[in-house]
Amino acid sequence: MLAVEVKNIKKTFKTKKDTVEAVKDVSFSVEKGEIFGLLGPNGAGKSTTILMLTTLLRITDGEAKILGSDVATEDKSVREKIGVALQDTGIDNILTGRELFFSTARLWGYSVKDSETRTNELLELVGLTEAADRRVKTYSGGMKRRLDLGLSLVNSPEILFLDEPTTGLDPGSRRVLWDEIKRLRDRGVTVILTTQYLEEADELADRIAIIDEGLVVAEGTSDQLKASIGGDVITFSFSNNSDLENAKKLLTDYKQEGNDLRITVQNGASKIPSFVNKLTENNIEIDAVSASKPTLDDVFLKVTGYRLEGSETSTKSEQPIKES
Amino acid sequence: MITKPSFFIQLGILTKRLILRVLRRPLAELPNIFISAFFLFVYDGALGGVFGGTASGTPFDFANGNFVNFILPVSIVSASLSGAASGIYLVEDIESGVFKRYQSMPISRWAIILAPMIVGAIRVLLQASLIMLIGKIIGADPAVGTVGFLIVLSLAFIWGMGFAGYSVAAGVKSGSSQGAQAATFLFFPAIFLAPTFVPREALKGWLETAAAYNPTTYVIESMRSVMVEGWVIDVLFRGYLAAGIFAAVTLFFAVVSARKATEKA
Repeated sequence: MLAVEVKNIKKTFKTKKDTVEAVKDVSFSVEKGEIFGLLGPNGAGKSTTILMLTTLLRITDGEAKILGSDVATEDKSVREKIGVALQDTGIDNILTGRELFFSTARLWGYSVKDSETRTNELLELVGLTEAADRRVKTYSGGMKRRLDLGLSLVNSPEILFLDEPTTGLDPGSRRVLWDEIKRLRDRGVTVILTTQYLEEADELADRIAIIDEGLVVAEGTSDQLKASIGGDVITFSFSNNSDLENAKKLLTDYKQEGNDLRITVQNGASKIPSFVNKLTENNIEIDAVSASKPTLDDVFLKVTGYRLEGSETSTKSEQPIKES
Repeated sequence: MITKPSFFIQLGILTKRLILRVLRRPLAELPNIFISAFFLFVYDGALGGVFGGTASGTPFDFANGNFVNFILPVSIVSASLSGAASGIYLVEDIESGVFKRYQSMPISRWAIILAPMIVGAIRVLLQASLIMLIGKIIGADPAVGTVGFLIVLSLAFIWGMGFAGYSVAAGVKSGSSQGAQAATFLFFPAIFLAPTFVPREALKGWLETAAAYNPTTYVIESMRSVMVEGWVIDVLFRGYLAAGIFAAVTLFFAVVSARKATEKA
């Protein structure tokens, strides 16, 4: 049985003036024990998809099953199997970490004694034992995220939904959370996470679905997606606009981004000398040239036509690029 | 081992959590206590001389010589309206996302809604007890004996829960603290379109009609009956009925609003 099976789900919000299709058509499936990443920019429909799968939003059309239970008609059964840590899932700031774990454990149905045991286990797991008796309002952003993750694990869920679990965290805290999520996967928990960080998807997810404007535009393992680019990426940088324009006349199948021209070829490193010769023979001065294996950033660029905000090579967020 | 907790265990856990929150913000409770006590002193000071002992034998002797007995229910009912602040608890949970967390767990929606109502009613009970203590000190003496205080408190509890439900529903429906705050505006018609300072027989015209449709009228009259007259069962019954129906209707309204709140939250 699949952990998650999503078939053509849609979500439409109707207001007095307008109808918004937040999710147009999303389908994917997740095997048990996988980390599955939904990658996309803000407003792509990732969080709405997660809200539908966790029974917090009604599905407008389509079908979704969690461990065989239909999300629309067996919502209670679904809730018993999942753990949820959303972007804006709340934490009661005025209570202590220990009080939050204990009351959540009691709400899930643990006895008083078992709730105390579970509280101590989870405090240890997310590294908050020392801060357990402090009010949550004194916690740092990273500690709150770890607490949030811990709270979503109280019922030992088979499937964990994490909506942008590391947004706003510093690199150190992000790394700690990544390690925690991997450990959960190694213990058999299926994790579905959304992210707008390419590095996070690359590092964590066993498989990735890229979502853009409410549609899944690519899906596969990180290596499969990168291989779909069809070769290595050579980047030529020009400091002079006339050199750039002249180079565009000589090169074919390039993509322009600012003063850079990027072309995708097989065995990129070995092809560089011939390209450089061709350009210099025409008195075109190249500022810099490099060849690299395709990244998820390149995949994203290819399937959406723009770069994801915050990606390493991004110079302008979500700006369309020109294609020859 | 996990076994699905009963509705009452869920309700108890959620209520305890909110009580902890109230206890950790004690200063927020002071204004309501102060206002209710203030009403008692001011009304008694301003009107006690006219309608109190000196009115004996005149048509204004509706307080049977003890105006504190007559006016105490008004202060208690005004304290009951502090239950209207309960909607804020739920709105805070919606705004912080705690509500969404509970919605993602197999918890009864009725328990989520009822918990702030109970906490609102408990606050009302404590405030009403304090007002009653002050009333006792300045001369309140129920016609049915000390048990009269307990009857007034029980009515205050149910009435407070009704107002808490109204506030919770308004908060859930609007999804904002302003919505829950706006609900407290009901305080004015509830208190003043009722036989607040004189018996209903003394009201005239539109105010008499409005008071007849205001459930607060029956709650105040019920409290007054045990404070001023003695055991008048039909009046007492009408008070419990009005408070009970009000609480049931607002609870239902709050739960129905909460069904739709998920889509907004």
